[in-house]
Amino acid sequence: MTAKVERLVNLTVALLETPRPLTYRELRSRTREYQQSDPESARRQFERDKDDLRGLGVPVETLDVAFEDEPGYRIDRKRYELPDVRLEADEVAALALAVKLAGEDRSRLALAKLAARAPDPTELDATGAPQVEILVDPIGDRLADALVQHVPLRFSYRTAAGDTADRTVDPYAVVQRRGAWYLVARDHDRDAQRAFRLDRIVGRVRFAGEPGAFSPPDDLDLAAAVAGPESERLEVDVAVAPTARWAVESRGGVPTGVSNADGWDVLRVPGVDRVRDRSWLLGLGDEVEVIAPEGLRRELGETLRAIATSHGAGS
Amino acid sequence: MSALDDVGRMLALVPWLLERPGASLSETAEAFGVSEQRIRKDLLEHLDFCGLPGLGGGDLFDVSVVEDRIVVSMADELRRPMRPTPAEALRLVLTVDAVAEVLGDELPALTSAVAKVREALGVPEGVADVLEPATTGAVLEVRRALRSGRRVLLTYQGRGDDAPRERTVDPWRLQVVDGTWYLQGHDHGAGDRRTFRLDRVAGVEVSSDPAEVPVPADLPPPRYQPGPDDVAVVIEVTRTGRWLAEALDVERVEEGEDGGATLHLTTDAPRHVARLVLMASGEARVVAPASLAATVGDLATASAARYGD
Repeated sequence: MTAKVERLVNLTVALLETPRPLTYRELRSRTREYQQSDPESARRQFERDKDDLRGLGVPVETLDVAFEDEPGYRIDRKRYELPDVRLEADEVAALALAVKLAGEDRSRLALAKLAARAPDPTELDATGAPQVEILVDPIGDRLADALVQHVPLRFSYRTAAGDTADRTVDPYAVVQRRGAWYLVARDHDRDAQRAFRLDRIVGRVRFAGEPGAFSPPDDLDLAAAVAGPESERLEVDVAVAPTARWAVESRGGVPTGVSNADGWDVLRVPGVDRVRDRSWLLGLGDEVEVIAPEGLRRELGETLRAIATSHGAGS
Repeated sequence: MSALDDVGRMLALVPWLLERPGASLSETAEAFGVSEQRIRKDLLEHLDFCGLPGLGGGDLFDVSVVEDRIVVSMADELRRPMRPTPAEALRLVLTVDAVAEVLGDELPALTSAVAKVREALGVPEGVADVLEPATTGAVLEVRRALRSGRRVLLTYQGRGDDAPRERTVDPWRLQVVDGTWYLQGHDHGAGDRRTFRLDRVAGVEVSSDPAEVPVPADLPPPRYQPGPDDVAVVIEVTRTGRWLAEALDVERVEEGEDGGATLHLTTDAPRHVARLVLMASGEARVVAPASLAATVGDLATASAARYGD
């Protein structure tokens, strides 16, 4: 009778080593486990152990055995074992550095598995290398399985406006953009591609089909899938206070050689998104003045006056 | 750590040690990201009792730790590591991909390694991605300073400042958090540690002076930490303006009518919040404090004045 850790390792060893499926009775004598005086609690422990091993990714198979009433169990070595990865010493070092820079401790075990039969890593100089925090936690095991094996999913989703509804999707990919995780998927009910924020999925995700139920499109553009709808692109002329000049230049603004009444230089900014970049221009407040196009200039004036009024000013 | 974590590690530890007879406790602990005590415990309290006890004692694993050297034998059933689960594989590929994107071409071995790992573990291309921010000129300059151990001169637009001003900084750490580049370091003007967002850096120059203030042992991640002088703010947003909740560090969201909401937060930079309210394009209104509402009103009035009537 041993503790749980040893029991599970021993069960794995016994199931890996056997040339033919072993019944529960044979496993009891082979491993000397499950010897409790109450046969039902012993059996329950065995069932739990099997589930635990499968949860860890150990492929425990249940098979029919000739001339036996009971099923037999076995681990197929081919499915259990990591195939040869043939990593070079500098590749092991680069992987280890990447996992370290990302602070992703949970990937250390996966890396140790990959490195087990690879050469020891070379020394790498990591001075000045940036840390990259990506927080992969939101991607749960079930979502990861569904993505890799192409299994449809069902989950409850809350929209930005606060409504919650059930969705059934073909999960294509997960993408992190500005710290938020999105699931890019085909929504069955809408028959269209959608991006879902993982932090708005309520409760658990469930499998809603079999592996290989769909194939993601070949031409999936993840950046576009989470960027939201594109709107009209404008070339905008902006007069800029010296204090805000850097902000406009960092968005691609170049001098036109013209100044406004305050002596501010007018910069021309290409590719301004009429909807999204309007916010950016508003946020620069009284340090910018949009000169052209006239329509945008008028809109900004109206919006700013409305904001002033709703905050008790200008009355 | 749960018993199942222990089992997962044990199944990887055996093949790793079989390949490296005489491995030291410290290198083993390093490879698995756990303490040396943990490895010692794994070996002497668990693995030494594993194997196939059914065959009369001779089939248990043979584990010995002499000084700090480890030898495991008689464990050929576990000679090869277990295949990582799809979730483990996906996390690893994502993590490494994200770093590869940031480090660019500096580490070609990383690119080739990711390709091998993808293929061996069956992680399809394009199933997961991190869209990291672009590596700008400022990032490259700061990295140059970090590598050569020198000071940087930043022209920096602080959240509470009217205009960018000069800062002299001993750089400590460069980080990408939530898709934004940050530099943490010692600000000589302030005489204290400061965090700088690189998208607010208007100019950067690597000084010829060496950086002198050492990196503290404990450097918290660059996130907003509430301070004693912070202001409590209440903002009403419409359904369209709800994105503001994600742009600000909101403590509480109160649901309102028609998909709108009331946001509760505290801030150390009311001016920064005022600008975000302007960005919400009329879909947000400051309820409290009155001083911040007045700031927004004044800023909107002054900005509107540029556009006549």
